[in-house]
Amino acid sequence: MDSHTQDYCRETIAAIITPPGEGGLGAIRIAGPDSAKILNSLFKPAHDPESIAGYFILRYGYIIDSHGDTVDEVTAVMMPAGRSYTGQEQAEIFCHGGQFVLKRILKEIIDRGARLAEPGEFTRRAFLAGRIDLTKAEAVADMVAAKTAFAYESAKNNLMGLFSEKINSLREQVIDILAEIEASVDYPEEDIETADRDEMIAKIGNIISLVGELAASYRSGRIIKEGFRIAVAGRPNAGKSSLFNALLNQSRAIVAPVPGTTRDYLTEWIDLEGIAVSLTDTAGLRESQGVIEKSGQDAARQIMKDSNLIIWIADASRKNFASEIEIDLKKLEGLCPVKVILNKIDKLSLKRLKAAKMIARGYSAVVISCKTREGLDNLRSKLVSLVSGSLPDLTDGLVVTSERHKQKLDLALESLKQAESDFKQNQSPEIIAFNLRQSINEIDEISGRIYNEEILDRIFEKFCIGK
Amino acid sequence: MKHSDFDIIVVGGGHAGVEAALAIARMGKTSALLTMDKTKLALMSCNPAIGGLGKSHIVKEIDALGGVMGQAIDATGIQFRKLNLSRGPAVWATRAQADRIGYNKFICDFVAAQSKVTVIEATAGDILTEQGRVSGIRTEDGQTILAPAVIICSGTFLGGLIHIGDKQIPSGRRGEKGAYKLSQSFRSLGFEVGRLKTGTPPRLDGKTIDYSKCEAQPGLEPPPFFSYRSKPREIKQVPCHLTYTTVATKEIILANLKKSAMFSGQIHSRGPRYCPSIEDKIYRFSDKPRQHIFLEPEGNGTDEIYPNGFSTSLPADVQHDAIRTVIGLENVEMTQAGYAIEYDYCPSYQIKPSLETHRLPGLFLAGQINGTSGYEEAAGLGLIAGINAVLYLQNEPAFIPNRAESYLGVMLDDLVSHSTTEPYRMFTSRAEYRLRLREDNARDRMIEYARRYSLIPEDDYRSFEVLQKQTRAAIAMLEKKYIAVSQLDGYAEYFVKRQSISLADILKIPGVEYKYIAKFLDNGDRIDNEILERASVAIKYSGYISKQEREVEKFRRSESQKIPADLPFEKLTGLRNEAREKFARFRPTSLGQASRIEGVTVGDIAALSIHVRKFTAQRS
Ligand SMILES: Cc1cc2nc3c(=O)[nH]c(=O)nc-3n(C[C@H](O)[C@H](O)[C@H](O)COP(=O)(O)OP(=O)(O)OC[C@H]3O[C@@H](n4cnc5c(N)ncnc54)[C@H](O)[C@@H]3O)c2cc1C
Ligand SMILES: Nc1nc2c(ncn2[C@@H]2O[C@H](COP(=O)(O)OP(=O)(O)O)[C@@H](O)[C@H]2O)c(=O)[nH]1
Repeated sequence: MDSHTQDYCRETIAAIITPPGEGGLGAIRIAGPDSAKILNSLFKPAHDPESIAGYFILRYGYIIDSHGDTVDEVTAVMMPAGRSYTGQEQAEIFCHGGQFVLKRILKEIIDRGARLAEPGEFTRRAFLAGRIDLTKAEAVADMVAAKTAFAYESAKNNLMGLFSEKINSLREQVIDILAEIEASVDYPEEDIETADRDEMIAKIGNIISLVGELAASYRSGRIIKEGFRIAVAGRPNAGKSSLFNALLNQSRAIVAPVPGTTRDYLTEWIDLEGIAVSLTDTAGLRESQGVIEKSGQDAARQIMKDSNLIIWIADASRKNFASEIEIDLKKLEGLCPVKVILNKIDKLSLKRLKAAKMIARGYSAVVISCKTREGLDNLRSKLVSLVSGSLPDLTDGLVVTSERHKQKLDLALESLKQAESDFKQNQSPEIIAFNLRQSINEIDEISGRIYNEEILDRIFEKFCIGK
Repeated sequence: MKHSDFDIIVVGGGHAGVEAALAIARMGKTSALLTMDKTKLALMSCNPAIGGLGKSHIVKEIDALGGVMGQAIDATGIQFRKLNLSRGPAVWATRAQADRIGYNKFICDFVAAQSKVTVIEATAGDILTEQGRVSGIRTEDGQTILAPAVIICSGTFLGGLIHIGDKQIPSGRRGEKGAYKLSQSFRSLGFEVGRLKTGTPPRLDGKTIDYSKCEAQPGLEPPPFFSYRSKPREIKQVPCHLTYTTVATKEIILANLKKSAMFSGQIHSRGPRYCPSIEDKIYRFSDKPRQHIFLEPEGNGTDEIYPNGFSTSLPADVQHDAIRTVIGLENVEMTQAGYAIEYDYCPSYQIKPSLETHRLPGLFLAGQINGTSGYEEAAGLGLIAGINAVLYLQNEPAFIPNRAESYLGVMLDDLVSHSTTEPYRMFTSRAEYRLRLREDNARDRMIEYARRYSLIPEDDYRSFEVLQKQTRAAIAMLEKKYIAVSQLDGYAEYFVKRQSISLADILKIPGVEYKYIAKFLDNGDRIDNEILERASVAIKYSGYISKQEREVEKFRRSESQKIPADLPFEKLTGLRNEAREKFARFRPTSLGQASRIEGVTVGDIAALSIHVRKFTAQRS
């Protein structure tokens, strides 16, 4: 086991749980067996100074350091084991929100025997204490990272246990079928009435479609969690950078939803009606890296491949732009959906504009001018519907937003499909049971029912300090 | 008279005790086999049959470890069958009807021929201890027998109480006395003693049965034997018969339900859910028009019939009326009434996987006393306890087969990780690595242990090595030999896009057996049927087994994370109370085992593993 789970049972940990920077209020959490001892040793209630902090009573008082000096005026609360976020005995101190004062109080706590909490360690303890299952622990991270309405909704659903309920119900359904099969294997002589074969096949089919839907929802889930990626591409001088900047100016910029995925300054994030959308300007590739044309094209191609949508911009003022588009779109085939945009319509005569619009209709293209900003609002609303059309209605369903869950669901699906086809081929029951059991194992790994240290490490390393 | 010249004392000459004493003898140690009636060694208390699902697998493992059960039933069986033949070979199960008395005689003679086993007819009353270890047994009539290791295999005899309707008869088994002192000795040593129940049907006079109304079930030819030592031979097999209860049976039983000891509240202890009494079945499944009953002969020299499925604790006159409503039994005479029996056992959290008790070094428990039920389970546990008692004397690490290699391992692990609230019997579904644990490869799985502990003659080991080598060669040949798909009759649809196909791939088709591919072998390739069958089954499951390999590896890893026996479970901090209590109760020996204890969560294991590491680090 690594340092993250270190002494989960014995060591008391502490961390500042409010973000860095100045604020009206700062908070520090202490969790572990010595929480009460530590809090009571440095917190003096303003009224009845000799008393100690009670459970779930927010008390007003002072933090007193080891020299007897007052550090800050605070409120503090104790929570008993079993009824706190971590599931352990836990204290929280709310002080003035400056970094200096927060760090001084934290140092007092550390001096009294607590250890600085690792990122995600509070939530890890909540999981280890059995207070939440793995899917909920992961939802905590998602909730903290949520930057848009969709990300928030889906994290909330998971946090409220929607996903774990679903997973558990799938597990139960598989076990029901397994039990029937096992009974027929172990009691060949008893005439117990087992469900008939067609009924079982139908049941498995039903589970398969449920698991399949769940796994497929990752396509949207990934967009919710990691954002919708748009590549702005086109021939040199078509107006890629101009459009990129125009779209940015039009929207609220945000930071990337998943840290570390920002490629470089060519990519910017915007909030498009509650969805995090990234725009990547493939024009910048050439200029920024001064690379030879060929590798610049390769890089652009890779970016387009990783995107959810390509905006292919063409210069409508070029004579043979229509045939150019024809050629270019051929090359883009199979990469991802493409939205064609005809730019520079300000340069067109009325007659040529009419012709351009005719051509545009054939590609459902949008005609714009970056210079005059004509058509940009229209483009934006087209993009909104394209992006949100890729997402489900979160009010009635669940979306898998974790790659880990998706992988496990795929494995479970594979075993379930095998079981289904075995059933149809009259394969013997011990083999069908084998595959059903395999699928249960995969499902159990999602909820963390199976003890697997590696999974835990991978999950909890994604947390920030103080969670 | 004072015996102090035994290495080990085995209390109880049932299936467990006999295998224990014989294993001890094979390992070169002497034992006193203390039992209440020395003519009743390994008597079948209930069903005159050995084997069945899960159980036959255990018998084959016992046999591979040199045990006697397989040989005894092969020599005295009167009908042999294989269950589940329509399914895959992993869940085939051999089952044989025994000549009940013949079986018992065979075992008595076999034991008598072992100079290292001394059978002593007496009832154990007290477990003796010296300096915190077991030191011997005092019999109810006051003899003291000393030995540094003791195995208790008391079956259903401790505090045995028979119920027939409202009649209660203190007894260990019909017609035999029980043992009423030993439980107290357990309690005063600090053991928890619990109570379980089981039941048995009436016995019938076969001469009064109208078999023409029943469906005959013949044995399989040639008879499938259990033991690798048994040579093929012809036997005269007798049929069993299948018949059914009627609406009248239902009426009589429902009308008299309150007279059943099980329903009147007279019996409080739990019986096995999987082996319910007839009154229970009729009550619980009252919408079912009929229940089936197997009429099983009790032996060659007797007309007595065992009506399997009619276990009951109703009053004898009700039993009589009810059984006569079963088709073909209209005029049947009962030779003995059915009954339920309650007995004392030691809940199995008190033993280690070696079957030694946590509480008293040198004391081992095996068989029904651990809360199991069944001859095969008892024999398997007896064998393990016997081996481990010898290892204990020699100060060597215990023999603990694991879940991935044997049903014996599954059983041991289940016993030490779960509370037995009903008698435990084996099922194949208990084994998560079931496809690896087959009858056909029991010897492959057990042979190294058999050799390590000298449980089989060296010659048997050598000849099996040859067989294994031939099997490997046969597998390689079947993988290499291709035939044209057009030559396949009936299975071509499995290989639509292929021209030719290996014999190995053909074997993976559901239902295809070695016999089918035999015809594709030319003279040069022709192999012995036994080897061909072994190779075929191995190939059939090879894909699944390798798919499971990663899991087995994970399992092995967590098994190898040992927990020191002296870890103070009661005092561990930072654990949920429930988890701490569970750990303190079961005292798991590895993190793997700990994780299988009921109600334990992933978090509890994480916490436990930290304690283990700390504890080990501090000590070294
Ligand atoms: C009525 C009844 C119904 C059963 N029904 C079923 C069933 O349906 N299915 C099933 O699988 N199993 C059933 N069984 C269980 C099966 O008989 C046992 O599981 C199996 O025999 C246990 O083997 P054992 O070696 O532990 O004990 P047993 O075979 O019971 O042998 C115990 C031996 O120990 C001796 N002994 C006991 N106490 C002492 C003592 N203090 N001193 C000296 N000797 C002692 C006895 O004399 C006896 O020889 C039934 C048993 C009974 C009695
Ligand atoms: N007239 C006109 N010029 C434009 C328009 N959009 C871009 N340009 C000009 O076209 C040139 C190339 O634009 P740029 O955005 O750098 O193209 P890129 O190479 O595709 O990124 C620049 O000189 C822009 O000012 C437009 O809508 N109308």
